[in-house]
Amino acid sequence: MPFIEVKETKIEVNEEGFLANHENWAKEVAEFLAKEEEGTEDLTDDHWAVINYIRNHYLEKKLAPMVRKICKNTGFQLKYIYELFPSGPAKGACKVAGLPKPDGCV
Amino acid sequence: MKDLLEEKIKQLKPEDLKKALQVFREKLNQEYAAYFNSCIHCGLCADSCHYYLTHKDVQSLPAYKLNLANGIFKKYFSFVGKNIPGWIGAKEFNQAMVREWVDSLFGRCTLCGRCSLNCSLGINIHLLIRTARSALASIRIVPLGLQSTVDTALEKGNNMGIAKEDWIETVEWLEEELQEEVSDKQAVLPMDKKGARLFYTVNPREPMFFPLSILAVGKIFYAVGESWTFSGDNYDVTNYGYYSGDDEAAATMSDRLVQSMKKLDCKTLVLAECGHGLNANRWEAPEWLSKKYDFEVKSILEIVADYIRQGRIKLDPSLNPNPVTLHDPCNLVRLGGIVEEQRYILKHAVAHFIEMYPNRQKNFCCGGGGGQLAMTRFSQRRLKAGQIKADQIRKTGAKIVATPCHNCIDQLMELNKHYKLGVEVKTICEFAADALIIDKS
Repeated sequence: MPFIEVKETKIEVNEEGFLANHENWAKEVAEFLAKEEEGTEDLTDDHWAVINYIRNHYLEKKLAPMVRKICKNTGFQLKYIYELFPSGPAKGACKVAGLPKPDGCV
Repeated sequence: MKDLLEEKIKQLKPEDLKKALQVFREKLNQEYAAYFNSCIHCGLCADSCHYYLTHKDVQSLPAYKLNLANGIFKKYFSFVGKNIPGWIGAKEFNQAMVREWVDSLFGRCTLCGRCSLNCSLGINIHLLIRTARSALASIRIVPLGLQSTVDTALEKGNNMGIAKEDWIETVEWLEEELQEEVSDKQAVLPMDKKGARLFYTVNPREPMFFPLSILAVGKIFYAVGESWTFSGDNYDVTNYGYYSGDDEAAATMSDRLVQSMKKLDCKTLVLAECGHGLNANRWEAPEWLSKKYDFEVKSILEIVADYIRQGRIKLDPSLNPNPVTLHDPCNLVRLGGIVEEQRYILKHAVAHFIEMYPNRQKNFCCGGGGGQLAMTRFSQRRLKAGQIKADQIRKTGAKIVATPCHNCIDQLMELNKHYKLGVEVKTICEFAADALIIDKS
């Protein structure tokens, strides 16, 4: 399996760059993935609001949240979420938040 | 991390292999058997396949894939193959062969049917490949992401495992958005409305992550004052059993939409913009369920094109000024027969429409079909195979790619990033909704 290297630590990811084990996630991992996947150099407070909400939802329910919940809990408009994460909530935000790849057409 | 699929292959027992062979045999009718004996190795299929064109390896050649299945057919179901296998290329069905089947028949094929269209003998190559997948699916040898998408759909009622309350709350939220957009507090997105004319299905990806396409359709229905409804249960237009080859699972999924039609007493089952969902639910499902439907099955594209033809909606193409090209989803167009509706809508909804080449039935697959998006282990091949589509798009100079399929949209978004195309990707109804002039009187 492929891996990424963050601060000299090797972290396993799948062939699409999702973390193989969500427990290996850390702030630095999110920053690395955001740069790699979304070309985002600096994560803003708004990025973190989305990432933290998704991550906490996943830790609690073992599921990615619906985009409605992301909007409701961050107070952001839908179109703004897509601006923050150009690859979308699944391949952008959920990946940066360390979640596994969701099932379905994504 | 362990390769779980490889572990499963290693644990296969002779009785498992026997079961797979039995399923393979049961699904091969005379027509298919005739196909197996028809390939004359002319090589025309090579240039038709996006995998072969981008990888140039023999394992990607459609005739080679066909031959992988054919070798097993000969060995177990033909007189000469049983007795002098080496003479006619008959092959043993063992773990090594299962590995090869997985690698080529799951890992190098999107079931797009372009090889079948170009075959000089008219062999339905993609159907035979799907039949071999069925044999593997019967012993649960299916790449994990694809199998888990089938399992999630079977267990949870939709392929992303969306809870009913989440689905209903999302529709209520979108209803508020619609009311704001059309400045009308009476605008609704009806849920479980019995006796409505249309039952509209969705791809779970829409409510989960990309709901603007739902809003677009809601806006169009609002503009015409259509009698329509969503369903609180059994609304998923997708059918990953079609991709994995599991006909039983596929039948269960399609039957759910039939149940919703009965429950809601609607006239027409309307399929969202989904390539394989159309092929599965309009053409294959009556076969899987062994029954004739007593209701109409239509693509939303046919419905919207009719609205335009009948003058029931007014569109202003200048509201979509940027150049738009169109990607034809294989299951909808080449295999599904919905070819001109999307063009008719776009020509009325956008100012500058550019065809890519080749197009319509001859179009190349985006590379995301056949369950490839769900099969992470083959994702690098998928991206490489998508290079043809990326080149096609780039040549048009368009700024936006329209495509009536959420599976294609996801692959096109990845190609956009990978090949730096700088385009936006949208559904057809999103263009129609953006061009809509709503007459308040």
